[in-house]
Amino acid sequence: MQHVAHLDETAIEVANLSHIYAGAQGTVPALEEISMRVGSGRFTVIVGPSGCGKTSLLMMLAGLRAQSQGTILCHGRPISDPDPKRVGVIFQEASLYPWLSALDNIEFPLSLRGARERETRQQRRARAEAMLRLVGLEGFGERFPYELSGGMKQRVSIARGLVQDPPVLLMDEPFAALDEQTRMTMGHELLRIWSTMLKTVVFITHSLTEAVYLADEVLVMSARPGRIIDRIAVNLPRPRTYEMMATDVFGQLRDRIWQQIRKTP
Amino acid sequence: MKILLARLALLALVLAAWELMPRHEIVNPLLLPPLSDVLAMLGELLQRPQVHLAIGVTAAEVAVAFLIAVPLGAALGVLIAENEYLGEVFKPVLFYVFSIPKSIFLPMFILVFGITFAQKVAYAAFTTTFVVMLSASAAVESVKQDYLLVARSYGATRMQILLRVYVPSMMPLLLEALRISMIFNFTAVMIAEMYASRAGIGHLIAGWGENFQMRQLFAGIIVLATVAILFNETVRYFEARCSTWRT
Amino acid sequence: MRLPAPATARRGMLVALLLLWELVPRTGLLPELFLPALSSTLAVLWQDRQIYSAALLVTLYEVALAMLIACGGGIAAGAVVGGIARLRELLLPVFSSLYAVPIVILYPVFTAWFGVGPESKIAFAGIYAFFPVMLSTAAGIRTIDPQFILAARSMGATLTQQVTRVIIPASLPTVFAGLRLGGALAIIGVVVSEMLTAAAGIGYLVTLNRTILDSPRVFAALLMILILSVAYYMLARAFESRMVVWQSAGRSPKAAQNESAGVPVSVAV
Repeated sequence: MQHVAHLDETAIEVANLSHIYAGAQGTVPALEEISMRVGSGRFTVIVGPSGCGKTSLLMMLAGLRAQSQGTILCHGRPISDPDPKRVGVIFQEASLYPWLSALDNIEFPLSLRGARERETRQQRRARAEAMLRLVGLEGFGERFPYELSGGMKQRVSIARGLVQDPPVLLMDEPFAALDEQTRMTMGHELLRIWSTMLKTVVFITHSLTEAVYLADEVLVMSARPGRIIDRIAVNLPRPRTYEMMATDVFGQLRDRIWQQIRKTP
Repeated sequence: MKILLARLALLALVLAAWELMPRHEIVNPLLLPPLSDVLAMLGELLQRPQVHLAIGVTAAEVAVAFLIAVPLGAALGVLIAENEYLGEVFKPVLFYVFSIPKSIFLPMFILVFGITFAQKVAYAAFTTTFVVMLSASAAVESVKQDYLLVARSYGATRMQILLRVYVPSMMPLLLEALRISMIFNFTAVMIAEMYASRAGIGHLIAGWGENFQMRQLFAGIIVLATVAILFNETVRYFEARCSTWRT
Repeated sequence: MRLPAPATARRGMLVALLLLWELVPRTGLLPELFLPALSSTLAVLWQDRQIYSAALLVTLYEVALAMLIACGGGIAAGAVVGGIARLRELLLPVFSSLYAVPIVILYPVFTAWFGVGPESKIAFAGIYAFFPVMLSTAAGIRTIDPQFILAARSMGATLTQQVTRVIIPASLPTVFAGLRLGGALAIIGVVVSEMLTAAAGIGYLVTLNRTILDSPRVFAALLMILILSVAYYMLARAFESRMVVWQSAGRSPKAAQNESAGVPVSVAV
């Protein structure tokens, strides 16, 4: 498979990251001493109980929120502000702009910097259309978000995250709002897209099955203050198939994650 | 706490401006008398029997109109919320009806009732009924279908559903409905009194305005505004207490 | 028995209403003084068409300027108050308290300040419509999904781009709703103030003819105001649904309903 090509290179490196919230009732430690390394082209899934700070961590990786302590390097350079050239983010609710068509939504990030980069309107359109094809929505470009199903919206959202071709893709429970069947299909689709694009993915989820199915490595976080309490390598072969979910290995991996999460109060 | 202080500071600033700007003739004191003069006039006015009478008349009009409009509007509102057919027929019409100035019907009320107490009450009740109707139907529709289903599945009777599901879950909205209806009711009585009448506070302030008696006029406005705000805040206080469970 | 379709029932009611308007006075059920027949109302409207169209022009001029004050000022102020958290916490409760005050009591102040001409009507109707527009705009700005802005930031939008490309389009539905509300209230404000003290305008014709008990002319003016407000409402609605298709189609009826329950400010006095 292609995606094993750059395994040695480090895409994301987090060192001693901590975060403390200053709330109304004093300070709350949210994240504690997080260190992690994500290899280039790897699919890493973070799981943990609700409120453990997974989303905060992802926001920090995206440069959308500042941490109290510690450093985040993305391909060797620190992340302090959103940098769509290096990191694309896909949110939980598809967060598509309801006033834009699917295609315009995908083109939105390109149009933000259009003038600066001497890319013609046609070139931008072509890139957006290519992305639309990649996520399997050819012919749906003119539809508005309210005319799309939940799964389709997330496809558009993925296309929007990929359109600037960032090496790293961060996904915050992107399929949480979908029903179980759509969710399985979307997971499968995501793996297909990923395997053609050589992206590094950090993916947050609540679903243990989804975690094992998607991941090269699963990071388990504890309840607040969030720490990484286990790293589980998933050595199932790729491409993943639905049949693998019935295997013993799959079940054992799932069980190990569950045991870790259960330990935290 | 801090925000409350900031609000008080803001109020003090406005009041100080009202006092000082006319005093130093930054604005014409004939057009805006200083606050202290207005308050002095207010004290004097509140001694006059003529003013007592006017307050009594206005209060009576407001109260009677409200007592007519609330049950009437509530019944109509529940009807269009509960009866699917009536709802479908009337709801689209209502939006148009709401955008029509009700005050244009004042002459009709005068033609029918003359310039009388009954005319003010009838006009205010007419106006307020629409408001109550809208709020009441919104309140009924706000009750979650799930609550009704649960109650029914436990074998609740119609009466039980009404008393133990509808009433408590509608309570905050009902109070809000009453509060907003009262705002419109009060406004309607004011318009009716200012338009054509021989008694009431609205009649007095319209007269003061025509005769350029600005101190009396502003004193009247202060009284009316204070009463309106106090009523509103009292109901809001109960609303907040009734709706702590709402998220 | 099958009930007619709601739309048919509505049309039927309108026809019945017009028929009653004609027949009740004709048959003497109600004296013509209370309710002049539709035909006599239309007849005087035609006969006095110059007077009425001149009055309509005055009213429309006042409404236009009042709308400019209320919508321009209300939308701008609502955006500022709704967008800045501190200001919102400070001021919104103050405005909702002040909302309880019947603004019409300020009208005598305006006539004393600006005279009985159009200025006092414009000032009064402008203020009358300003607060509801501001409150609904502030509420609308506040309900913009924070994820929209977060997503824009993650895509590298500058602050200016966040405003022009996300916040403004996201608040368009609120702004249009504000315009619809503001226009309706401006019409009401102008008509009410013309009825109270004026020397021109349709509201003035209502009052003038009432005092001389010329009922057909009162009702002619009344009919014009009715048509004016309903026409404005229909126009505003049509414009709105064309401009923000995604809004009306994309929202659940439940959400729209909650909104109207929270802001029954469009009810006219």
